[in-house]
Amino acid sequence: MMNWRRHFIEAATLIVAAVLCAAVSNAIAGRERKMLWSGTYPNAMTVPAPATATPSSGGQAPTPVPAPVVAAPVTTTTTTTPTQTGEAPILHGTTTTTTTTAPPKHAESQQLFPPHPDKPYIEIQYDAVKQLYDKGVLFLDARRTSVYEQGHIAGARPFSVWESDIDEKVNKLFEERGDPKQQAEPIVIYCSGGDCEDSHMLAQKLWGIQYNNVYVYKDGFPDWQKHGAPIHTGSAP
Amino acid sequence: MTHPWLTIRVQIALGIFFVAAALPKIADPPSFAHMVYNYRIVPGALINFMALTMPWIELLSGLALILGIWKGAARTIIAAMLLVFITAITVNLMRNNVIDCGCFDVSAANKTHEERLADMHWVVIRDLGMLLMCAQGWWASRRTATP
Repeated sequence: MMNWRRHFIEAATLIVAAVLCAAVSNAIAGRERKMLWSGTYPNAMTVPAPATATPSSGGQAPTPVPAPVVAAPVTTTTTTTPTQTGEAPILHGTTTTTTTTAPPKHAESQQLFPPHPDKPYIEIQYDAVKQLYDKGVLFLDARRTSVYEQGHIAGARPFSVWESDIDEKVNKLFEERGDPKQQAEPIVIYCSGGDCEDSHMLAQKLWGIQYNNVYVYKDGFPDWQKHGAPIHTGSAP
Repeated sequence: MTHPWLTIRVQIALGIFFVAAALPKIADPPSFAHMVYNYRIVPGALINFMALTMPWIELLSGLALILGIWKGAARTIIAAMLLVFITAITVNLMRNNVIDCGCFDVSAANKTHEERLADMHWVVIRDLGMLLMCAQGWWASRRTATP
C-alpha cells in the first residue's frame, strides 16, 4: 500500500517536473520554436477524406477552379488612373469608342475571382494562381518560417500556422485590410502541396475574421517551382 | 527472464529509446504539434499543450530509467504512454487515416500512402515490443520484492 503511494508520488513528480521544463523551454524559445499553450485548430478531430493516389508533388487534383468571369469594360469619360502601370484594359466583345479606364488591378481580380462568403476557401490550380499573382494580389505562405526562408513565392509573406506569432500576424493583416472592401480582395495561401493542410488551416482562420475571398493553391510551392515561376529566398518577401 | 543482468540492460535500452524519441520533439515543438494534429484524436485546444509537455515527460522518464532513479514510476509512465500510442495508431489504422507517427522524427516524410501504412503497422509492433520490455521490468521488480 505504502509502495503504491510512493510510486504515485514519484510519477506525479516526474510529470510536474516535465511540465515545468516544458514551460521554461517554451519561455526561452525563439520565435520559430515558441508555441501558445492552447492552439485553435477547428478540424482537429475531423478525419480528412482518404487521399487520392496523387503523388505529393505535381499531380493535378480534380479540384474546383472558380469559373473566371469575363471582366466587363468600364466605360467612363475620365482618362487614366495614376496607379495604373501601363496595362491596357481588357475589352471583350465591345466596339465602344469612348475612352475606357481599366479598373484597378485589385478590383479587376475581384471581378475575376468574386468573394465567396459561404465557404472559407476555394482550391485553385497553377493557372488561376498565376493569374492572381500577375494581378498583384496578396500571397501568404503557411509553411514554417525556416522553410519559407529557403525559398518562397516572390512577394509572399510568411504566415506559419504552427508558430506562436500567427495571431499577431493575422491581427496585423486585419489592421492593414480591415475595411470590408479590402476583406473581399482575393488572397492566395499556399503550403507544400500534396496532403499539406496548413494553407487550409490559415484560410479557416482568415475566414473567421471575415476574409471571404481566400484561395488555396492546391499543389503549393513545389508546383510553383515546377512551373519556373518567380521565387525569392531569405526572410524578406 | 528476471535476472538483474537482463533487467538493467532492458531498462537502459528502454530509457535510450525514449530519450532519443524526445530530443527531436523538444527541438521543434511546432512540428510535433503538427504530428499530434494529424492523429485527429486530440481536441484542438490540447494539441499545443501535448506537443510541449509530452516530449519532456518522455525525456525525464527515459533519463530516470537510464540513471536507475524512480525506475518503477518511470516505467509506469512509459507503459501508459506506449498504450496511448498503440491505441492512437490503431484507431487511425481503423479509420484509414494514414499518417507519419512522429515517434523519432517530426519532419514530414515524403512517403507514399503504402509506405506510411506499412510504417504504422511496424510502429504498433515496435511499441508492443517496448511494452513487453516494461513488463519484464515489473516482473523482475516483483520477483525481487517478494522473497
